[in-house]
Amino acid sequence: MKMKKWFTPAFLFAVLLLGLGELGARLFFAADISGRFEYGYSPDAGFDERRDGTVKLFRAGGRRFHPQSFQRQRPAGTFRVFVIGDSVPRGPSFKGAYPWLLGKELQQHQVQAESVNMALPGYGARRCQVVLRKALELQPSLVILHVNDSNKYEDEREFRRSQEFKTWHPRNWPMKVFIFRRLYEAKVEKVFWRLVPEQIRLKFAASDADAQVAASSDPEEVRARVQLARETTAASVALAHAHGVPLLLITQCRVWPDGDRSFYFEDHGLDALGRSLAGERVYHLSMKEVFSGLPDGRSYFSDSGHLKQSGHLLLARALYQVAVIEVILSCHSERSEAE
Amino acid sequence: MSFITWQYLVFLPLVLVLYWQLPGRWRLVLLLVASYFFYACWDVRFLALVLATTVIDYLCALSIEGKQTGAIRVLILALLPAAWLGGCAFFLPASGINLLIVTAAGALGLAFFAGHEIIRRLVSEKRPRLFLILSVGFCLGILGFFKYFGFFLDSAHNLLTFLGLQPNRVLLQIILPVGISFYTFQSLGYVIDVYRGHSPACTSLLTFATYDAFFPQMVAGPIERGKHLIPQLEQTAVFNPVYLQDGLRLILVGFFKKVFVADNCAILANYVFAPQTPLNGYWAVLGVVAFAFQIYGDFSGYTDIARGSAKLLGIDLAENFRFPYFTRNPSDFWGRWHISLSTWFRDYLYIPLGGNRGAKWETVRNLAVTMLLAGLWHGANWIFVLWGAYHGLLLILYRVVPALRSLGDEKSASFCRGVLAMALMWAFTLAGWAIFRSANLHQLGLWLAALGHWQINISLPWVSSSLWLLLHIAPLLLLQILTWKYRDETNLGRLPWPVRGVVYALMLLLIVSSTEHDTEFIYFQF
Repeated sequence: MKMKKWFTPAFLFAVLLLGLGELGARLFFAADISGRFEYGYSPDAGFDERRDGTVKLFRAGGRRFHPQSFQRQRPAGTFRVFVIGDSVPRGPSFKGAYPWLLGKELQQHQVQAESVNMALPGYGARRCQVVLRKALELQPSLVILHVNDSNKYEDEREFRRSQEFKTWHPRNWPMKVFIFRRLYEAKVEKVFWRLVPEQIRLKFAASDADAQVAASSDPEEVRARVQLARETTAASVALAHAHGVPLLLITQCRVWPDGDRSFYFEDHGLDALGRSLAGERVYHLSMKEVFSGLPDGRSYFSDSGHLKQSGHLLLARALYQVAVIEVILSCHSERSEAE
Repeated sequence: MSFITWQYLVFLPLVLVLYWQLPGRWRLVLLLVASYFFYACWDVRFLALVLATTVIDYLCALSIEGKQTGAIRVLILALLPAAWLGGCAFFLPASGINLLIVTAAGALGLAFFAGHEIIRRLVSEKRPRLFLILSVGFCLGILGFFKYFGFFLDSAHNLLTFLGLQPNRVLLQIILPVGISFYTFQSLGYVIDVYRGHSPACTSLLTFATYDAFFPQMVAGPIERGKHLIPQLEQTAVFNPVYLQDGLRLILVGFFKKVFVADNCAILANYVFAPQTPLNGYWAVLGVVAFAFQIYGDFSGYTDIARGSAKLLGIDLAENFRFPYFTRNPSDFWGRWHISLSTWFRDYLYIPLGGNRGAKWETVRNLAVTMLLAGLWHGANWIFVLWGAYHGLLLILYRVVPALRSLGDEKSASFCRGVLAMALMWAFTLAGWAIFRSANLHQLGLWLAALGHWQINISLPWVSSSLWLLLHIAPLLLLQILTWKYRDETNLGRLPWPVRGVVYALMLLLIVSSTEHDTEFIYFQF
């Protein structure tokens, strides 16, 4: 009675509707919003393991996976490749990226294969490792880890945001409610990202971008982040090794103009890192080596780091010829030895 | 402290709980402390200006009414702002206040004291008028220095340079105190009302200081009249659940307008009116429509939150917006847009100038002067003066061209003529917003030029962006349709309660979906 006196029936009805909405969101949309506010550090966000044994990759929790599905239990005789990395392996489109093209390449060479693109834009070594942990549970024959050095700051910023979200701070309270979180997710990813052109989105977040640039340019911080990224990559290699899964490191390179017509490739020391980590069941492919030998190597790049579809195709072929075939052969020989 | 911060969401309930627990005058003490704290969260130094305005207008209003205040008391009060600055300099060395600033504030206080004492000792019928001049002079002097000094200095420098002279550039960086135009005008309006005998002078400094600095409306209005707000502050209200119900409803609608409508429309408006943005006709129109809803959602949203916060304290603030985009003529627009400011200019400037009582040319002159000053009130920039001139021109044309008057007349127009008049007025309003939003005349020129180029290919898709805009305008328009017949933008009261419940729930969901970016209220800069 007292409640009714203080609040109008309309207000109480609104609260009831929101309560029902919250219940519905918890029951039906829990997977969709999993890990949104862990900013990429959630172990399971974007992976939906269904009762029928299918694993679906979907956009959730800030992980913009290309939607794909595969059986949790790897089919007998299938060579399963997972590609983990950032926007470079994610590609200009799902079928225009080297993970898909690699799968095609393998199938053309009569290898029964499935290649899954688990790359996510803006993901650096730390968040890639979180995806790797999950991927290793899903019976890969080979994991390709695309090693880049351009997302160190994003990793750090998102880690801080995820930690901040776990605090008691009132500004995080609304997003602890599932219905709010679900709507927020839908608004940002399905409305904001799709309707507002990227150029405007970037401009709108100009202050944030400025802060990033400022934070990125401090030499001490940059050095610390580079060191952390390298240690994390080494830890990822050890992790794959511990699971007995072969790992292939692709080290990123960048292409820069050198005078009016010329250009040069730069690997920022990643090739050396890749070589130092290569060893038993760990393979290495240098993008610089793939592209720098070509007279028109620059033409495969859409900007300094991202590849055009032709570049992805070239990389997929190189992967097959240089490395994957080696992995397949070694797998076969190991199996024969075991038999 | 801004309304759309978590700090305010903690601050307000805390003030409310204490307010309704305290007896009588202690509530005023609480409100005053809370208001000063609220303001000091922006910049603790500028509280000295609030104190100065309060002290000057409090003392002058009393003196206008012939009430005696002891010289010692006047002196102490006049030195209060300097004492505050001195305290800041001593306890907050990082505030940047130095001995020179404290001395200047002290000298100003002494000057006011001297002026006050001289007028007080005069045996003349003009004494009330002189006190009014003293109050208006000091308050407008403070406003003029902090808001317009740099502007006029720059303009004079540019003019002299244009004339071929080589003036020395005087560099003076003056920070604009938040809300200075609002509280100065509110305080001035009170003194003028006392002078005219429309309102009694407030004898309690505590009450008057609370009136001057009342936190819900201090920094961006509504500009309250003393005779409306002071009696409400003086009475000891008993808590009524209606305060809670109405207050929460107003706050919800305010947040919806600000966070969902304004901040999302701002994404497109900020892009279109950013320097170097390539524009064609589509983008130019899209940008100005986005800004029209941004500024409306922003300012009316602020007002609704202010009214809601005050209502929770049992206090009614004036209505500031009433469907301003559904008007048929410029006169009606100003009766619905920023009502507290337009009525302020009407009562304290336009009517004293003669209003529309004289010859036609006098009315034209009065309208022109009023609107130019109303434009200048918004900011120290020629673009605002141009905006004021533009609206002045619209008002003058509406008054002197019979065909326009007939078209915009609400009573005689048919439905079709009414729609035509509304569309025409909407287009004129948009053109006005293009002036208002442009950073300078060059940008305004680019915007106008874009209207002549509809074929220029700009790679950005304007159709999807229009859809984005529509998605954020449509719920607001729906809300306006629902509340139209009650003549109150926030009054959902007579709708069936289940419909209201759904509307409240949807509004809350839409607000939360847009909490990504914190943007400040536009009118704080004025």
